Amino acid sequence: MRFPSPQTDRGRQNLRIALLLTPAISLIILLFMGGLLMGFIRSLNYFPLIGLNEPNLEAYRLVFTDREFFASFLLTFHIAFTSTVIASILAVGAALLLRPTFRGKKIISFFFQMNLTFPHLVGAIGILFLFSQSGFLARILTNADVISRPSEFPALIYDRYAIGIILQYIWKEIPFIGVIVLAVLQSVGEDYEAVAQSLGANRWQRFRYVTLPLIMPGVLSASVIVFAFTFGAYEIPFLLGRSYPAALPVLAVRSYTDVDLAAKPQAMAMAMVIAVLATMMILAYMNLTRRYVRSS
Amino acid sequence: MTQVRLADLTKIFDDDFAAVNDLSLDIESGTLTALLGPSGCGKTTTMKMIAGLLRPTAGDIYFNDNSILDIAPEKRGAVMVFQNYLLFPYMNVGDNIGFGLKMRRVDKREIRRRVAEMLELVQLPGIEKRKPSQLSGGQQQRVALARALIVEPNVLLLDEPLSNLDAHLRDEMRELVRSIQRELQITTIFVTHDQEEAVVLADEIALMFDGVLQQYAPPAEFFEAPSTVAIARFFGGLNFIPGTLENGAIHCPCGSFQAPKSGVKAGVSTLSIRPEAIQLGGRGHNDVEGVIRSHVYVGRYARFRIDIGEFQVEAVTEPSQVQHHQDGSTVTLHFPPEKIWVLPPEEEHKDEGNESAG
Repeated sequence: MRFPSPQTDRGRQNLRIALLLTPAISLIILLFMGGLLMGFIRSLNYFPLIGLNEPNLEAYRLVFTDREFFASFLLTFHIAFTSTVIASILAVGAALLLRPTFRGKKIISFFFQMNLTFPHLVGAIGILFLFSQSGFLARILTNADVISRPSEFPALIYDRYAIGIILQYIWKEIPFIGVIVLAVLQSVGEDYEAVAQSLGANRWQRFRYVTLPLIMPGVLSASVIVFAFTFGAYEIPFLLGRSYPAALPVLAVRSYTDVDLAAKPQAMAMAMVIAVLATMMILAYMNLTRRYVRSS
Repeated sequence: MTQVRLADLTKIFDDDFAAVNDLSLDIESGTLTALLGPSGCGKTTTMKMIAGLLRPTAGDIYFNDNSILDIAPEKRGAVMVFQNYLLFPYMNVGDNIGFGLKMRRVDKREIRRRVAEMLELVQLPGIEKRKPSQLSGGQQQRVALARALIVEPNVLLLDEPLSNLDAHLRDEMRELVRSIQRELQITTIFVTHDQEEAVVLADEIALMFDGVLQQYAPPAEFFEAPSTVAIARFFGGLNFIPGTLENGAIHCPCGSFQAPKSGVKAGVSTLSIRPEAIQLGGRGHNDVEGVIRSHVYVGRYARFRIDIGEFQVEAVTEPSQVQHHQDGSTVTLHFPPEKIWVLPPEEEHKDEGNESAG
C-alpha cells in the first residue's frame, strides 16, 4: 500500500484552495479585468457601433496635449499625496494615544471609529456646512465680530489648494489608518519598547527605532489603499472642488458624459492613464517606504 | 559594582491582587540571585519593578543605598533580558547588539568593535549580518544576552533565561551565564520556576509563594534547613511526620528520635528527613519499624515506599537493596540524627481543604 507523500498532500491542499477561491476570483477577473479591457479597447477609438472601426492612439494624443489634463493631474496628485501623508501621521498619533488603557477608552475609541461607517458624501456635506463662506463657522465668526462679513472667511471650499477636499479625506481616512495601526500595535505588544527602554532608549528613540519600524508595514499598506482611493475618487472633488482644474476622475466623468460620443474614447484614455499613474505611484511609494524601513 | 536592596516592596494591581507583598531583600554586589517560585508568585513582577517597567504600590528599591524609584527606567542601568529574547526583527544581529550604544550616541566604529567583542564573549563570532529569524533559539538567547551586556549594566535582570531552550542547550547556556557573570562581576538577578536551575546557578535563592518571600538563603539551606514544610516540599522533600520537640528529641506517634538540628525551639512540630538520608537496617538508636509497601528499581538507585503506622515515607537507597527487601516485609529504618530537620507544624493547605470539602 502506498501512502501519499507530504508533497502530493500539499499539492492536493493547494488545488483545494484554488478550487475554493475560483468563484470569487473569476468574478473579480470578469468585473475588473473585463471592465479594464473594455475601457482600453474604447480608448483606442475602436467603437464599431458608431462607426469607429480603426483602432488608433488619437485619444491618448488628445489627453497628453491637453493642458487641463496636466493641471488636473497635479491637483489630483496634490490632493491624494497631501491627504494621505497628513492622515497617516495623525492616524499614527491617534493610535498611539488610544493604545494604553485608560478610563473611557471604549467611548473614545467608538467615536474615533464612528465615521468609518459614514459615506464620504456625509462628510462632504458636513464640510460644506461648516467651512464654506456661507457656512456655520463663517457666520459664527461674523457674529462674534472676528470678521466683518462671512465672505472674509478664508475660502476652503472650491479653493486653489483643495483644502476642503483634503480636510474631508483626512477626516475620513484617519480612523481607517488608525484602526489598522492600532491592530498592529496590539499584535506586537509593548515588550519590544520595554526592551529598548531598558537598553537606554528615551521616549523619542523608542518611537523612532522601535515602534515606527514595527508599525511601518501596517501604515504602509493602509496608506497605499488611501492613496489609491483618493487618487481615483470622484464624488468629493466633484462636490468640494473647483471646476477648473478639476481632479482627474471628475475630468474623466465629464468627458464620459459629454454629449459628443467622440469624447468617450478620450474619457477612457484618461481612465487608463489614471490607473497606470496610480499603479506607478503606489509602486514607487512602496519601494521608498520599504527602503526606509530597511535602513532604519 | 551595584548592591541592590528591596525594602518592603509591594505591588497591588487594579483588581486588589497583591502580586508582591512586603518583599525585602539585600542583594550583594556581584552576586547571582535567583527569584524562585511557581508561576504567578510575583517573581517577574518584582523584576519588572527593579527594571522600572512597573511602579511599586509601596516600598522602595535602592542601588548602592540610593533610591531609584524616581529614576527613569532608561537611566537606571537595570537591563532586562526577556524570556522570549525579543530581538528586533527588522535589524540584523550587529544592530541588535549595538542598539544600546547607538541610543547613547557612541561612535559607529566603536560600536562595531564592541559588538564584535560581545559576539566573542557569547561564543558566536562573526554573525553580525544575520537576521534574528535565521538564528536558533539558543543563538537568539546569546544575542539577547550580548545586547544587554554591551551597555555594561549595573544590574542584569534575566527573565526565565533558560526555559525556552532544549535540555542540552540549557546546560551549555547555564555554564555560559555563570562564567560570564563571574568574569564581569555584574550583579545579576534571574527569575525561574525551576528549582534545579536556581540551585545550579545561584549564589542565593529568594523563594516566593503568592507574592510573599518564604526564604532567602544559599541553595544548600533549602535542602538542609528549609524553614517550612511547604518550602521543603518545593525542594523535593517527601517525608514529614508530625510530633513534639522537647530537649533535642522529637516525639512522634511512631517513636522518638534524637534531632539536634531544628528550625523551631520546642513544642508541636514536624520531623523531616530527605529520602536519601533514610537507611534500611537498624543501628540501635533513632530506629523505627516499617512495612515495605512497594519499590522501584531505577538503576542508579532504588526507591522504597514504606508504611510507618499511619504515615508513609520514601527512602532512596543503593540499587542492591532490592535484593534484600521484598514488598510486604517488615524492615527497620534508621533516621541518622544529624539528617533530621525539625520544622514548624504543617499548615492546613487551602487546596487540600477545598478538595476534602468537594
